[in-house]
Amino acid sequence: MTVSPSSILRVGLLVLLGVVLQISGLSQIQVMGSSPDLTPLVVAAVALWAGSIPGAVTGFCVGLLLDLALGQNLGSSSLVLSAVGYGVGRFGELRDPAHGLIAIPVGAAATIGYLVAFAAVSFMLQLEASISALVVRDALVTTLLNAIIAVPVFGLIRRVVRPVLLAQPAGRRRRAETRETGPIGLRGLEV
Amino acid sequence: MYDKKVIRRRRAALAVLVGLSLVLLTAYFGESPAGVLHGVQRGAQQVLSPVESGASKALKPFRDLFNWVGDAFSAKGDNKKLKKELAQARSQLAAAETAVRENEQLRAMVGLPRRAGFPQGTSPVTARVIARSPTDWYSSVQIDKGKSDGVRADEPVITGEGLVGKVTSASSGTAEVTLITDGSSAVSAQIMPDGSSGILRPAVGDPNDLQLDFLQKGRKLAKGQVVVTSGFRAGRLESLFPRGIPIGTVRSVSPNEVETYQRVHVQPYADFRRMDYVQVLTARAPGTQQASVGLGP
Repeated sequence: MTVSPSSILRVGLLVLLGVVLQISGLSQIQVMGSSPDLTPLVVAAVALWAGSIPGAVTGFCVGLLLDLALGQNLGSSSLVLSAVGYGVGRFGELRDPAHGLIAIPVGAAATIGYLVAFAAVSFMLQLEASISALVVRDALVTTLLNAIIAVPVFGLIRRVVRPVLLAQPAGRRRRAETRETGPIGLRGLEV
Repeated sequence: MYDKKVIRRRRAALAVLVGLSLVLLTAYFGESPAGVLHGVQRGAQQVLSPVESGASKALKPFRDLFNWVGDAFSAKGDNKKLKKELAQARSQLAAAETAVRENEQLRAMVGLPRRAGFPQGTSPVTARVIARSPTDWYSSVQIDKGKSDGVRADEPVITGEGLVGKVTSASSGTAEVTLITDGSSAVSAQIMPDGSSGILRPAVGDPNDLQLDFLQKGRKLAKGQVVVTSGFRAGRLESLFPRGIPIGTVRSVSPNEVETYQRVHVQPYADFRRMDYVQVLTARAPGTQQASVGLGP
């Protein structure tokens, strides 16, 4: 991804929209006692299509905005989401995944990683907090819900960031030209 | 392969972001609520609050839709849960109503021995009815007080309303009470204030109908007159009940031209089907005070 006013604007809008949608909309929707979490999906999608550094920066910004808006410990979400963005970005750079449903495992992994890491950070910062078994159930339900909505979210974010990407993502690459075959259908026997 | 420069830049970016997060975290924890970072946070919240408010209003229909779907899915579980809660509430209500009724009965029992005309020289022992005879033919109940509580056979048993029966047998912790509605029961009774005496017997199968026989003809008896125990003793029908225990009221009089006696139908005071507590009027030991059930009047 090139650093340009257009890319900053697009990713900035994604960050703002993702955080506002999450804290004003999705967090108040209860499905099976829990709610989906858009923020790790936004970070993971940007990281998957744009790379590790944009992913980590996006994660930091999403986390900072989240902490500011919700009055949480400043830096805790930033720390975790930066790591999530970096990790997903590295996965995208190394494996160059092209499958259309890659959003599901990536979204689920990003979500569970975010939830576990955030729980660990919160637990370390607030030693007097007690952990209920419900935390585990909520984390699993949120991961499941995020896996379900990952495909449309990743698709939407890819459409937004595609114009500012350096190269087309692997899934969109054009296939190499096939060589012509000979008259009997065998290659190398061209006349 | 990636260029070393790219790798270094990537790692440096991550290190900067992680370091910045840790610095923010440390500074945020280190400062007071009036500190700079807290102030920035409050300012950001003020700036974002209109956006959040607007988004919340705009997204409300979607939230309601999703929640409605979620509610529909969870309705079955909720229904089961609410049914369970309803059953619990019903049992609690039943327990509360039972307690109220028991309270009323106990208060009445405390009051009855204090009425004028109630036989003195007895020491009431309050007992809970723990078993009932299921048939009409054997009207008896079992109580949770026995010999160890001073209960003996042939002692009268009352409720807050009036006489209900007598103890027919007693073990150390329980006693059998034969009700005056039992076919074998006979109580010497008299109608007040007339003073006519007779023998009260039950109409088996109808606990609300007691028949007072052997009343002399010619006595003018009226509906509503009070019937109490007379303390009468005569041969086999010797009354074991002390004089003055209320039994019921006259419901009707059956004049019989042939017989030399007349019969009176008595409506008992006691509700034999709804007895939870009774009192056994035990013989008071000389020099002791009357027992109390521990409730106020």
